[in-house]
Amino acid sequence: MNLQSEQFDLESTEDVQEFYHSRGWTDGFPVVPPTPESIQACLDWVHMTPDELIGIEPVRERSITAEKLAINAVMAGCLPMHFPVVVAAWMALLKEEFLLHGTTASTGGCAIFMVINGPVRKEIGCQSEFNVLGSSDRATSVIGRAIRLGLINLLDVSPGAIDRSTLGHPGKISYCVAEDEEGTEWQSLAEIRGLPNDVSAVTVFAASSPRQIMNEWTKDPKEILDTYAAEMKANMLSYSIWAGNYAIVVPKQHRDLLQQAGWSKTDVANYLFEKARIQRKEWAAVGKASVVRDKGDTEYCALASPDHLLVVAAGGPAGGFGAIIPPWLGTKSQAVTLAIGACVDCEV
Amino acid sequence: MALTVLNPTIELQAENFELAPRLSTLDGKTVGFISNGKEGTDGFFKHLDNLLREKFKVADIIWETKSNYSAPAEDDIIERAQAWDLAVTGLGD
Repeated sequence: MNLQSEQFDLESTEDVQEFYHSRGWTDGFPVVPPTPESIQACLDWVHMTPDELIGIEPVRERSITAEKLAINAVMAGCLPMHFPVVVAAWMALLKEEFLLHGTTASTGGCAIFMVINGPVRKEIGCQSEFNVLGSSDRATSVIGRAIRLGLINLLDVSPGAIDRSTLGHPGKISYCVAEDEEGTEWQSLAEIRGLPNDVSAVTVFAASSPRQIMNEWTKDPKEILDTYAAEMKANMLSYSIWAGNYAIVVPKQHRDLLQQAGWSKTDVANYLFEKARIQRKEWAAVGKASVVRDKGDTEYCALASPDHLLVVAAGGPAGGFGAIIPPWLGTKSQAVTLAIGACVDCEV
Repeated sequence: MALTVLNPTIELQAENFELAPRLSTLDGKTVGFISNGKEGTDGFFKHLDNLLREKFKVADIIWETKSNYSAPAEDDIIERAQAWDLAVTGLGD
């Protein structure tokens, strides 16, 4: 084993908790002790050396290595089989278009919403139905938490340090779902975003908290989607008017009706692109009259184009409850989708 | 039970950097503002502009605005800043 990190010899798991909490190395919850053996097991799973460079955070020029990611993943509760998702997610976060520094430092307080696609979901025990935006299963909970602990420990994204969020939201503990690919006829999110349908992938998206909607009183696709559009418009009024990626989480009850009517994800996106629009003068009704200025008749769309919508099939088998998940702030950060376990140095 | 555990943080010490030499006077100097472009910055920098010109007799004030207020200033702004005696930035949310 040639791990490079500083080692500490502690007496007990209780000592580990206090040692790590007292140094600001946790999110406040207990952590799994990151022993050399557990870290090596994660690295072995992904065939990486400890010093393998996952990427460099471009603003602060911090190098992120496999060993440090593994330590934080183990602390979060990850098993080795979860680690490839964590690695791929970090590779995505470090893409320049994600703007990791801005998204994690902002007063806007967004979190990193992650969507897992492909065969890995079943291999690691993801659950895409009941309570999908809560603690639906071990895999998504610990993978989402691994990202947060990594931000805290590798980029100083602690409250009051780099993290200047005014409020933040509960997704900053863990904000990860796996798409219900078996429960839909739709293409997966990763496939829509350009990856082959048999590839495991993760999508990362700098996102505000979910806004839940309910409509159980129609079978008309347009009426169902009008409810989603209304919530997107509400977000444009009360939060931010700027177009960006939005995610919508569509439960089975809504999906079945949309699919029976022949609507694809692309049809959904095209419809919401047309409907999720407001005029700037509508700001006056929500207390923002002072910034309407002479642009009152200007129309704003929630999406710069239909393909900016991330349509996610997930949620319990019953209930007309969906969610919209708004962007942190317009297009300043863009969602990134990457294959899991793909070797960037290998020839295909 | 004794446990060996690992440090989860980046252990490299941040390199110290030296502050730019302080100016002894603002009189006749060129000052640059790099605004993040947010709503509240306009009034702040206008006030500062007046103050620096009237009270401190600066020779010139250059206004620059980043295109993305959550990202670092563009390279061309940093390049133009080389000609300034003083920069005011990192302000205005």
